[in-house]
Amino acid sequence: MKKNIKRIKGDIVLYIMLLPTLVYFLVFHLKPIYEMKLAFFDFRIFESDVFVGLKWFGKLFSTPMFWRILKNTLIISFMKIFMFFPLPIIFAICLNEFSIGPFRKSIQVVSYLPHFLSWVVIAGVWFSFMGKSGAVNTVLGIFGIGPIDFLTSKDTIRWTLFMSEAWRSVGWDSIVFSAAILTIDSTLYEAAEIDGASRWMVMKKIILPALFPTMVTVLILNVGFILNAGLDQVMNFSNDAVLSKIDILDTYVYRIGLKNGQYSLATAANLFKGIIGAVLVISTHITSKKLTGKGAW
Amino acid sequence: MAVVKKRFTIGKILIAFILVFIALTIIVPLVNLLARSLSDPAEAYLVTGTDMLPRGFSLFHYQVVFNNPLIGISFRNSLFITITGTVLSLLLTSTAAYVLTRKNLAGKKPLMYFLIFMMIMVPGMVQEYFLMKDLHLLDNLMSMVFYKAVSVYYLVIFMRFFEDVPVSIVESSMLDGAGHWTIFCRIYMPLMKVPTVTIGMFYFVTKWNEFFYSSIFLSSEKNTVLQVLLRKFVVENDQVNMYGLANINANNIIAQLDMEAMKATTIWVALIPILIIYPIVLKYHTSGVLSGGVKE
Repeated sequence: MKKNIKRIKGDIVLYIMLLPTLVYFLVFHLKPIYEMKLAFFDFRIFESDVFVGLKWFGKLFSTPMFWRILKNTLIISFMKIFMFFPLPIIFAICLNEFSIGPFRKSIQVVSYLPHFLSWVVIAGVWFSFMGKSGAVNTVLGIFGIGPIDFLTSKDTIRWTLFMSEAWRSVGWDSIVFSAAILTIDSTLYEAAEIDGASRWMVMKKIILPALFPTMVTVLILNVGFILNAGLDQVMNFSNDAVLSKIDILDTYVYRIGLKNGQYSLATAANLFKGIIGAVLVISTHITSKKLTGKGAW
Repeated sequence: MAVVKKRFTIGKILIAFILVFIALTIIVPLVNLLARSLSDPAEAYLVTGTDMLPRGFSLFHYQVVFNNPLIGISFRNSLFITITGTVLSLLLTSTAAYVLTRKNLAGKKPLMYFLIFMMIMVPGMVQEYFLMKDLHLLDNLMSMVFYKAVSVYYLVIFMRFFEDVPVSIVESSMLDGAGHWTIFCRIYMPLMKVPTVTIGMFYFVTKWNEFFYSSIFLSSEKNTVLQVLLRKFVVENDQVNMYGLANINANNIIAQLDMEAMKATTIWVALIPILIIYPIVLKYHTSGVLSGGVKE
């Protein structure tokens, strides 16, 4: 009896220790999620909100702007996920060609840095460099390539988003692949050397297969986040000239909801994104776990 | 560990060039901005996009920026939010990680499902705004301290470190009658240097760099945050805030400072904490913490 009481007493301390975090999630996370029911109500200031069912979703899906925005979100995400995908892998493989030493370490140290910069800072740096009279265009000019408008042209702005994302993440995202390469059994390399395999063959037959599970995990999990096309980045790179091409779900919600005060419509869009996003994350997590044993958690 | 043969093949030289090129795309712009900021005001406009060295040398741009009261206020605000927020986040995350890794914890499964739900479902923007409004935290720095205080992703990483501690270490203390809090503080936390520093630094950087919700929750000038102010200068080209209205009207030395140099200076000021903690992150980072591999 005394033992049981002692056990429950001990457990109470545990729950008390957990309480602050639990309260945080309940107040700052669960409550606002619950309040997203506003998507099904007409917002009223002085009276209670009126239940209107799917009215706002109907309005949302019949707005042409919404479909344009969804298209932008998906295009930008597709570029970032699928075109970016090989880059950190190639980077890790290239790095691996050099033994661990000052050269490799310096490249790594430099390449990780942009991941720690805010998008405001990155925008500042890129505006300075990619402007029409910036350094990049000056260098291109030497090769006779006319000034390219990276920042205010509808045709190039998505590529600018893609490139700046790549610039920011190639180094950091390669860490997980470098770690995987380091776990390759050295006897495999020795066997390959004995068989006279070229460096290219080593890469094809030893390194890539070893990276395959990690590649699958990363790719699948990134797809789960496909509706997050990068709010901070878009907010900083956006201007009137290019908005129509890079307006994404989050910027739409911001504009409609917080700036225009159309709370219910914005919440409907946000809820749409949230639920589809959650479904995607869960299904990609399950798929990834099934295929490679690793998931999002 | 992989054993790589040292051979100077053309392929290897080519790869070295590619890696160096990538590194240069990062170094050159940052050093160029630094050069602009350190240039003599009279010559700053001469700095081209590829210069690595300043034209003349002067700290005048930095003086002007630091004398700008808005910069001082926003820097302090950012620092307060970041440090307080990081401490709070680490406290909440580590205690939760300890509790959730206790073997006989009743209700562990529902708790984990709850947390995972928290991780995949994000509250809407409008709702976040109304939440802070209802808590009377609008235009209060504490709103940003509490915003995203706990990341489930980091919590899970912390939990893995807690699980790695062998139970035998704990068992003797438990037999001696030590309570959970004592065990947590005296036995576990001293072993948690690596995750605490690493995750602490990640929280730090996230909070220092946060600009979007800062601009939503914090509206008045006295509560502005450095990233929001920086954005006004660098993205919105707001010269009034950068140079000061009085200076612009007087068209004095300050008003005539090269705008690119002023932007560069402000950017570098915003980079100071990042550059301070960056070496710490590099020192403590182990593949173990990061091989989870999911990017946000």
